[in-house]
Amino acid sequence: MGALELFVIFLKASTLGLGGYGSLPVLREDLILAGRATDEQLVQALAVGRLSTGPNGTYVISLGYFAGGVAGAFAALVAACIPPLMMVPLVAVARGRLLSSAFAGFVRGASLATAGLLLAIGLALLAPQGAAGVAWWHLVLAAVAGIATYQGRMHPALLIGAGAATGLALGRS
Amino acid sequence: MTVTALTSGTGPGLQACSAFPRASYPDAVTVPLGELARAWLAVGTQSVGGATSTVSLMRLRIVERTGWLSLREFMETYALAILSPGIHLVALAALIGHRLAGLRGLVISVAGMMVPSAIITVALSVIVGAAGDHPVMRAALAGVAPVTAGMTAGLALVTARSTVRRGRRGIVDLLVITIAFGLLVGFPSSTVLVVLGSALAGSVLLARDRPGAGGAE
Repeated sequence: MGALELFVIFLKASTLGLGGYGSLPVLREDLILAGRATDEQLVQALAVGRLSTGPNGTYVISLGYFAGGVAGAFAALVAACIPPLMMVPLVAVARGRLLSSAFAGFVRGASLATAGLLLAIGLALLAPQGAAGVAWWHLVLAAVAGIATYQGRMHPALLIGAGAATGLALGRS
Repeated sequence: MTVTALTSGTGPGLQACSAFPRASYPDAVTVPLGELARAWLAVGTQSVGGATSTVSLMRLRIVERTGWLSLREFMETYALAILSPGIHLVALAALIGHRLAGLRGLVISVAGMMVPSAIITVALSVIVGAAGDHPVMRAALAGVAPVTAGMTAGLALVTARSTVRRGRRGIVDLLVITIAFGLLVGFPSSTVLVVLGSALAGSVLLARDRPGAGGAE
């Protein structure tokens, strides 16, 4: 897949997403559902993003790599940085409007939608082939990871390590 | 070399810099670019664990150790950054860098945080990708997949926690979340319409309060 095409997809996702993981719904639609990447690659990218340094959202660089090599990773990095940079001129010329209640409502509406979309993606990642492919230990791992992420008390790398260890113990087919 | 000296030129980049003048921050200090680069490289290489550790390191380097910004200035800038599309902490780095050293400060701050992180991310991706078909790696990923699913759902709850209002108005917020969830489950290609529709509806129906600043960055 070409780097330019990936750049456009990642730029669209970053522009429409609020926060590091806000781009996830659009990327799943444009890359995974469109057959340009797989759910397995998305899982790998999310895990890598959690293990790497930097803010939430670096998973897009990993997903860009899986979809288009180093050029794809670079395209994802640049595309992820452009929309947030627009805040500098916006703050310079319209600081007051950005702090208005109407704009706050606009952001709140998008944030609420993002929460619902992330819930749906969590469900899709848990059961990509439907409920029949979900084992009891998948449910336990997902519940523990969800609670730990909500509470924010456990390092993400520990959660991923625990998931990998459980998979090695119970997931060999 | 300070940005004051650097901005005495006349190139297009510097003209763009003066188009968004730092006069927005009349009491801003000017930070040498080398010191600024060192601070952001530390953030970009040491912030394992996502937004929480990244913000903590930003605060340590920009507020506590150097005093380049007061805590109040840092938090005000953070409040503006969470209004941005995309990765909020990129916006935060850009706003801080621009405030402290103009356009070159912006570039150094964003690149200092993101380039080391991108290099580490690609290196990890190469390793994971190369081992992806090995039976051991496949077994490990069978356990990692539900963990990432749970983490994604957990992030949804964190986002909701920082956004949903208390009392009766919270019912409207929960309804928006439920509708978005249901639409994406039923119509997987509806993402853009759901986000834009909710945002536009929010500007009319949800405009009374500001969102909290504790969401998933």
